[in-house]
Amino acid sequence: MAKNVRFGEYLQVVSVDTASITYSNVLPQPIFDAQGREVPQKVTKLIMSGSDIVNLLQPYLSTRFMEQVTAVVPLAVFLAVFQWLVLQKPVAEAALIGTGLLAVMIGLMIFMEGLKLGLMPFGDIIGSNLPRKLPLPGVLAIAGLLGIGVTYAEPAIGTLQVAGSIVDPQKAPYLYTMLNDRVTWTVLVVGIGVGVAAILGTVRFLYDWSLKPLIYLSLAPVILLTAYCALDPLLATVVGLAWDCGAVTTGPVTVPLVLALGIGVANSGGKGNSALSGFGIVTLASVFPILAVLALAVFWRFTVPVDVISAEFAAKSAAAAATTAKAWYEVPPGSDVKMGVQAIVPLVLFLMVVLFGILREKLPNAFIIVWGLFLCVLGMCTFNVGLTAGLAALGSQTGSLIPGAFVGIEAMPNAPLYPYAVGTFLAAAFAWALGYAATMAEPALNALGLTVQNLTNGAFKKSMLMYAVAIGVATGIMLGVCKLIFNFNLLYILVPGYILAFILTAMSTEEFVNVGWDSAGVTTGPVTVPLVLAMGLGFGKAVGALEGFGILAAASIAPICAVLMLGIYVQWKTKKELAGNLA
Amino acid sequence: MAKRRMTNLIDVSLMTCVIQKGMADTINKALLELGVQGATVHMGVGTGVRERMGLLGVAVDVEREIISFMVPSDQVDRIFERVFIVGRLDTPGMGYVYVTPLLQAATYIPPNLTERA
Repeated sequence: MAKNVRFGEYLQVVSVDTASITYSNVLPQPIFDAQGREVPQKVTKLIMSGSDIVNLLQPYLSTRFMEQVTAVVPLAVFLAVFQWLVLQKPVAEAALIGTGLLAVMIGLMIFMEGLKLGLMPFGDIIGSNLPRKLPLPGVLAIAGLLGIGVTYAEPAIGTLQVAGSIVDPQKAPYLYTMLNDRVTWTVLVVGIGVGVAAILGTVRFLYDWSLKPLIYLSLAPVILLTAYCALDPLLATVVGLAWDCGAVTTGPVTVPLVLALGIGVANSGGKGNSALSGFGIVTLASVFPILAVLALAVFWRFTVPVDVISAEFAAKSAAAAATTAKAWYEVPPGSDVKMGVQAIVPLVLFLMVVLFGILREKLPNAFIIVWGLFLCVLGMCTFNVGLTAGLAALGSQTGSLIPGAFVGIEAMPNAPLYPYAVGTFLAAAFAWALGYAATMAEPALNALGLTVQNLTNGAFKKSMLMYAVAIGVATGIMLGVCKLIFNFNLLYILVPGYILAFILTAMSTEEFVNVGWDSAGVTTGPVTVPLVLAMGLGFGKAVGALEGFGILAAASIAPICAVLMLGIYVQWKTKKELAGNLA
Repeated sequence: MAKRRMTNLIDVSLMTCVIQKGMADTINKALLELGVQGATVHMGVGTGVRERMGLLGVAVDVEREIISFMVPSDQVDRIFERVFIVGRLDTPGMGYVYVTPLLQAATYIPPNLTERA
């Protein structure tokens, strides 16, 4: 018998199993005590079935994991394909490196989530409450100490130790000692540099200082010290390291935590309304560590003679030969775990002392925060394991093979693969493409681009800024690699670069100065830094250069110039259009 | 002077969906496919996740998007169901959707549409 069914009813039956219940049946019934007063309800925990939990966690995990995948996988694939097609050598130990890269992605994912849940609430509470409870000098002291603490917690800082193991103590004694026996001091002065930057940045927020004089005043001594070191044959090798340290410090822990405090102080002083709040600290945090590391190098130069370093090295190698069995925390992955714990725990202890000791505040949702801190440590350890086995290994492998394109190297029997001119061009092109891809994949750049687009009412488009920064970084990395190929002094890149940047700074408005100088620090994240650093070191070793640092330094100055130039162009164009409209 | 015209819309309901931050775009896309236009999105913060879900609550963003839009009363079921499915509202902590009756509504209506009705 034919029956008419509404199509809507039909769809409803096949797609969703619908039922209706009264809401009152779902909520708990009111409870009354003997006197007839209502008893407060107890909050019951939600009981979830397995499929509910899967549904809940699947999008949560996949979006966070994909964020890291997009940052790591394209770069790794690019390196591997280049090595395979152009250098005609497949990636050695591909399984180990792949596992390492997986550890990097998982580690960063866990670390970032831990940062959001565990460390950021601290930063927010301290930032908003500290200025009300302490006078300004106290706040600044804590900002400085925080700067030191966050430096240790920065994921990329572990790269320095990895890099140190490659340096030859005979050829570059001071570089060797600063990365091995005296690495604690190096990291400490980098931290102090960030601390000073945090103090200055906070004061700048408060009194609304222009960034321009700060840049001139802080960079002038840096350039002078650089020139002094570069002319001293024993210290020349340290220059690259010092400038690279500036890029290492401005990562995902330092920037938000120091910013939270700085903005909190500025708000309490009633000066937090400027659209530019938050810019400038990144620049300062990348300049002061350079100064600190250079000063430390000069200090060692005058206090520790070269023989002492050689003696220490000999003693250390003898000791290493004598002791066969190392403790579990001295060999990877145990050492990586130790490093991870060392990085996070002091920072957390410091934040807790400030919070409970000085502010006497309680933590909301303490359980979640503790879980976040646990994730931070876990993520940091996982990342460190992957850093050594994955990112650094891949970078140094490719880096050490690239010179095979134009000169004979040991690792490649059929090298050089190409005529000298073609080979050097290939190496430079590779460096350019690597820099471009790494920068475009950096999530922080996207955020910066959006801010700038809003700041300039759309005159400076997000995509324009991203292209400018990416082309700048790419050109910088290419220049850095050229420095290794032709073995010229890093000064020849830094001095003209910074002179150009100074001139452009003087010509630009305050907004573009802030954005331009910050863009360099933003682009060097926890994936790019280890990869580029390891590539440079491997490359330098293969061509017989003393050290492979300096690539990141070159990659910092180029985007500054690129963004400032673009800024001046945009201003000129806007002005011209305005004049055209009026006429 | 010509008289200003106002057309009252009747048989109309307001549907509101409170959903995790970032999902409003997904809902809005589905709504456009259903022919529903002009959804409004507010931002808000929810509670209950931390209290009732424990550690699993970290997977839920307490920041919410509240997307509200008008639908024809006779199409409520169809659209309601679609929003439920697209928004994955059968997941714990995801959000909820509700319908409220409206007495009348008025807005700009393209003249060709008023003539057709």
